[in-house]
Amino acid sequence: MSFRFDRRSVLRGMLGGTAVYMGLPILDIFLNGNGSAYANGAKLPVRFGTYFWGLGLTDTPAGGTRWVPTTTGPGYEIMPELASLSAVKDKVSVFSGFRAIADTKANQVHWSGHASILTGIAPASASRFDGPTFDTRIADAIGTSTRYKMIDVDASLSRHPVSYSTRTGTTFASPETTALGLYTRLFGPGFQDPNSDNWKPDPSIMLRQSVLSAVKDQREALMAGVGKADQIKLDQYFNSVREMENQLAVQLQKPDKCESCVIPTAPKEGPRSASVDVVNANTKTMAKLLAMGLVCNQTRVFTFVHTAGSSETYVAGQSKIYHQITHDEPTDAQLGYQPETSKIAGMVMQAFGDFLVEMNSTKEGDGTLLDHMLVMGFSDTGYAKIHSIENIPMFLAGGAGGKHKAGQHIHTSGDSVTRVSLTAMQLVGAPVGEFGTGTMKTSRPITEVMA
Amino acid sequence: MSAMTMAAALAGPALAAWTKTYVVEWNEPAMYYGATSGVIDPGSDCPKGTNPEIDWIKVLMDAGYTREEAQWLRNPANPTRSPIHGQNQMAFRGKDRANVYTNPTSTPDPGLVGVSGAIAEGLNLDGDAKTGFTSPSGEKGIDNNFYKALGCWKTYRAPPRLSSGALTFNDSMRNGSWTTVIVVSGKGADPMNDRNVKVGFYVSDDKMVKDGNGNIARDYSFRIKPHAKYEGIVLARSVDGRIISTRPADIMLRNPGYDRDLELLRAQIDLTIQPDGGLKGYVGGYRPWEAIYRGWVNARGPVIEALTWVQLPAVYYALKRNADYSPTGSKGEKTHISYALRVSAIPAYVLTPDATQIASSVESYRGIAPQEPERVTGLFALVVDGIVPDRNAKVQAGPNAVILPPASAGNSVEAAKQ
Amino acid sequence: MGYQCLRTAGLLFGTLTAAAAPTLAVAAASATQATEQTSAERKPIKMAFRRITESQYRHTIADVFGSEIQINSRFEPEKRDEGLLAIGTPQLSLTSSGFEQYFALASAISEQALSDNRRDALVGCKPANTAKADEACARKFVEAYGERLFRRPLTDLEIATRLRTASLGAQQASDFYAGLKLALTSLLVAPEFLFRVEIAEPDPINAQQYRLDAYSKASRISFLLWDTSPDEELLAAARNGVIHTPAGLKEQLTRLISSPRYEQGARAFFTDMLQLDGFENVVKDPAIYPKFNQSIADGAMEQTLRTTIDLLITKKRDYRDLFTSNETFINRPLASVYNVPFLSAADWTRYTFSPSSERFGILTQVSFLSLFSHPGTSSPTKRGIKVNEIFKCEPTPNPPADVDFSKVKDSTNGTIRGRLLDHMENAGCTVCHRRSDPPGLALEHFDGLGQLRTSENGVPIDVSADLNGVKLIGAEGLAKYLHDDPKVPACLVRNVYAYGVGRKTGIREEDYLADQTKIFAGNGYRVPDLMVQIASSPEFFKVAAPSGARTAAAEPASVPTAVQQSARNEQGVHP
Repeated sequence: MSFRFDRRSVLRGMLGGTAVYMGLPILDIFLNGNGSAYANGAKLPVRFGTYFWGLGLTDTPAGGTRWVPTTTGPGYEIMPELASLSAVKDKVSVFSGFRAIADTKANQVHWSGHASILTGIAPASASRFDGPTFDTRIADAIGTSTRYKMIDVDASLSRHPVSYSTRTGTTFASPETTALGLYTRLFGPGFQDPNSDNWKPDPSIMLRQSVLSAVKDQREALMAGVGKADQIKLDQYFNSVREMENQLAVQLQKPDKCESCVIPTAPKEGPRSASVDVVNANTKTMAKLLAMGLVCNQTRVFTFVHTAGSSETYVAGQSKIYHQITHDEPTDAQLGYQPETSKIAGMVMQAFGDFLVEMNSTKEGDGTLLDHMLVMGFSDTGYAKIHSIENIPMFLAGGAGGKHKAGQHIHTSGDSVTRVSLTAMQLVGAPVGEFGTGTMKTSRPITEVMA
Repeated sequence: MSAMTMAAALAGPALAAWTKTYVVEWNEPAMYYGATSGVIDPGSDCPKGTNPEIDWIKVLMDAGYTREEAQWLRNPANPTRSPIHGQNQMAFRGKDRANVYTNPTSTPDPGLVGVSGAIAEGLNLDGDAKTGFTSPSGEKGIDNNFYKALGCWKTYRAPPRLSSGALTFNDSMRNGSWTTVIVVSGKGADPMNDRNVKVGFYVSDDKMVKDGNGNIARDYSFRIKPHAKYEGIVLARSVDGRIISTRPADIMLRNPGYDRDLELLRAQIDLTIQPDGGLKGYVGGYRPWEAIYRGWVNARGPVIEALTWVQLPAVYYALKRNADYSPTGSKGEKTHISYALRVSAIPAYVLTPDATQIASSVESYRGIAPQEPERVTGLFALVVDGIVPDRNAKVQAGPNAVILPPASAGNSVEAAKQ
Repeated sequence: MGYQCLRTAGLLFGTLTAAAAPTLAVAAASATQATEQTSAERKPIKMAFRRITESQYRHTIADVFGSEIQINSRFEPEKRDEGLLAIGTPQLSLTSSGFEQYFALASAISEQALSDNRRDALVGCKPANTAKADEACARKFVEAYGERLFRRPLTDLEIATRLRTASLGAQQASDFYAGLKLALTSLLVAPEFLFRVEIAEPDPINAQQYRLDAYSKASRISFLLWDTSPDEELLAAARNGVIHTPAGLKEQLTRLISSPRYEQGARAFFTDMLQLDGFENVVKDPAIYPKFNQSIADGAMEQTLRTTIDLLITKKRDYRDLFTSNETFINRPLASVYNVPFLSAADWTRYTFSPSSERFGILTQVSFLSLFSHPGTSSPTKRGIKVNEIFKCEPTPNPPADVDFSKVKDSTNGTIRGRLLDHMENAGCTVCHRRSDPPGLALEHFDGLGQLRTSENGVPIDVSADLNGVKLIGAEGLAKYLHDDPKVPACLVRNVYAYGVGRKTGIREEDYLADQTKIFAGNGYRVPDLMVQIASSPEFFKVAAPSGARTAAAEPASVPTAVQQSARNEQGVHP
């Protein structure tokens, strides 16, 4: 099967002096051979994941901020609580000033913030979400060809495992809570080795092909006697059909050997303690395993919880947990923020930086795994002391296969968090035009970070 | 129309010549701040700063727990300490392990240090210039013993709009939990100088809306909700835009706090019309002090104590000894304490309950209010005697609870697995 | 004029006979009406392919499969040309990512429509064995839904390929309904569904001429009046040819216009004409207009649509009252922008503006005022341009490439009005600005959000304007001016026609449009009557031959084609 594309199909139509034709960016990626595509013409899959940590980052009404960069656009400065992101700064976009808008519903503390980000709906109660989380929608769009549609992880080592992924709002996913558990899930029995010789094609793909051929059969009849402008339109249409056919055909072919996939050794059982150092170490170990799971194509979509919304973590040796400190530590008069809280926020963020560094240290194709994925990092709250759902810190990390113009700081004064969620969905190619309800309803992604 | 209704209609609320209506966008206790900018820093109000953080190990040992038990209870890794509700066993440190939240006098007064400065914001409630503080502008006789008792408690101390208590409750209000509206009407020609002014405080079910900057948007419409409790009508006069009550009244407002009812006996107001059209000032009166204490207890004693650096029984004792009013006369028990609420309101349309017109005259709607039972919902419905019992716990906190797990005292990891 | 059409048609069919014969057989099979003179040489011609809009897609799916079907997808952007999306969007095709979206959407719709609890209601028959293919039942399904989606009966070939797909799917999954889902998906991604295909057939009455075939006529009136695909009754009127008769056509038009569904079509028309789709992208500076948010934007759009529909469709009042009537609807958020009390417990309430509010008609609604201004200020130029474009069909060309903006911006005048009047002194700017600015200057008592402000920097704002020698003052003056300007109803007539036929108008349509405008005036400027009147006029279904549908051998000598003609119209000659 050949996948050469005929340049004839890249036409520009002229009608009354204006260009009719709208660009086909995907064609260009197919045509060039810069290592962002398989040798046989298919592109590397884009992965998506969410990364959640509890209790926000420091930003107080008195004006002290420890994370919002002072400049917007590319080349933002690394603020104290973002220190862990320095190594991957150019692959991370920072979003500040976005808020969850509860309209007529009460702010359910440590709940409404991330419920709004994930479902677009401010929940009426603290025991459920009022809609499915959008990671499930992405999984439906891009996760159907791997062994697992989605993998959920909770690294917090807390008493109650937490996942914020749900299709119904009431039943949440069961996450892997230990490194060994995650390893077994990914590489234990049932592991589908992409480099093995026992690969079989997916029958449902052939069915989809038949749908397209039913359409293509009509092509000649349709094109007969058609005016020039309409010919151009139909050419574009059938071009798109053929492209989709080719994508399906690729999936029917045995995939190339996956050089980057190396089955890791099983990790040792670690200590179970919710203190920050242990949770961070756990995060790093699980990130490594997850990275290899993605490269070995066991899944394309994941959700990752570092600490839950009402986080239990604490600094080893201290009797107060981080959550309490965010509420009871007074704002320092000179500094304008809560110093202990900020210090621990930095420690919590260290895990996010380590996570991304793991993704970036895993080679894939001409770049790294991070280049071929998109991670949305976010928290449940802005200024944790008062459970504020304004200025919830949000990040998009990774290249999304070239679609994410990363390394920018985008600031808004009160736009809905759903704009960032919508941007994430569109960057990984999920078919979503609008997200959210009420005042959070939006159809405006953040185009500045979209290539 | 019968003669009686006709007469009633004719003698009805006197038509106002002017009306100004507002929605309250911020309200907090008037706690004069005497430092420069920090919450805990020393200042003229609190020379030693706010009451310091509590050494809970010492408190528990003073209450009779062993050091081992005290450390075990305070260790975040231990299973009886909920990350959300705190350590329930903290309640039981009174005599014979009584619950100090429900029975504060079962433990001696820990001693909450109050305000020792001379300046306070508020109103002269008893008419006596010799009792009370001096206002920041020099007026004598300001009665605000609530401030005196609690002004050095961390949760109340900060410059205006910055104390954690004020932030928490106003955030909640501004996100739609409740709405307070104000109607001001007068019979004269000039609102800025009018001898016959009436000010009405009401609640509304219509929620406030935030604008693009996060402030409350002006000019929204709010229908008065007739309420059996929350209403206040005060007679006043305006002089150069400053509206001062001419006669005390008994009113009740929706309180920005865990205890919802703010009953104010002998209430007065001091509100000034602002150049930008808003209204700012004070509403004050004598409020029941024990309800204040109960409000904090019902917000989960262990959590409040840990977060705000206080032993709740100290709040009880402080309020009790500073209570300065008895409704039954000077010989009666002083059940109430002087208090002032700092209020900021912005222009809004306040409508009659049926939404047919702007509420142009100040009148009472209590008579047509539905008799709704008070419902406690959400988190605080779970609170029993100041703590949230853990239904899944093998051992319930209480006077007879065994503190240390058997044979694994000091091994928190093992304990966590139980 | 007719001669030109005829010649081009003749040339067309000349090239058709020269083209490959097998395609003709297929084309013949798709002719739905037996012609009296069946000449082997005169076959139906595909006149146009117009991509359906997002709202037309949604309405069609809701009509055919039920309104509970969820449509969550990203639709490709539309395009406005000569003031209407209805003219621009038909020029577009699909991108690959657009096709992927439609494919995913089609699968999702099929999945929902044929889900366990819906399939019995939807599929009018049961298969002999639910684990196997069943051609008879699948055929019934494909024929029925194919006709609703393609807006005409399917050809045997079209049916055959879908049956093949259904059979394959049923076998693979051992589930009859899995096969149906695939067949339905293939109908939903077919170009015959995604594009409105308009077909011209030989006219049995006028030899040598062509007319739009019955199904194309049905589609046109259905999309014009209901913004959706023809329903079963309309398809029946096409099937039995009754729609070709004046009485039959009138009957269908009357049925559609009397239905409550007409409101949906009217909303779609006015949303397009008034350019309300702009609300998807409006941003305002919160420091200057803090009251603005998405809820205000949504409300403003709804207010304008509600008011327009109530006035023109429900009450059937004079179109020109749209500019002068102070009766409208508001909701609670809008009330805060208009700074009036919201005296209602409902979401929306009627509201009549007092004379002192200076609100007169549509030009003083928040929608128009906020859409056509800047994020932080008003813009008399933008507003003036849009008044001319939307209501008088007079577009303004872009500024010439050689404008020296440094000269323009240096006006030191303190008010917007002053700076614009200074523009008008610049040669090269005058020619457009003296027509675009005055209407906008009359609206200067409304800021960039549409709030009333009568002074700027402490100075009262002067809202007098000089429009083609006519002096007018403020919004009231502008409203009266537009009310009395004959170009305004003429522009509406043109818009209804262009919207309905989906292409630009030009010199060829001038006389027709002038006649229609007279009739419109004679009918008291009632909009429903106008739509019926235009849809029943012969011009509405007139066939203009497509250009370029010929081989290189048969180039015409000097007869301009319709496309070349309208291209001439478009180049810089203002009506």
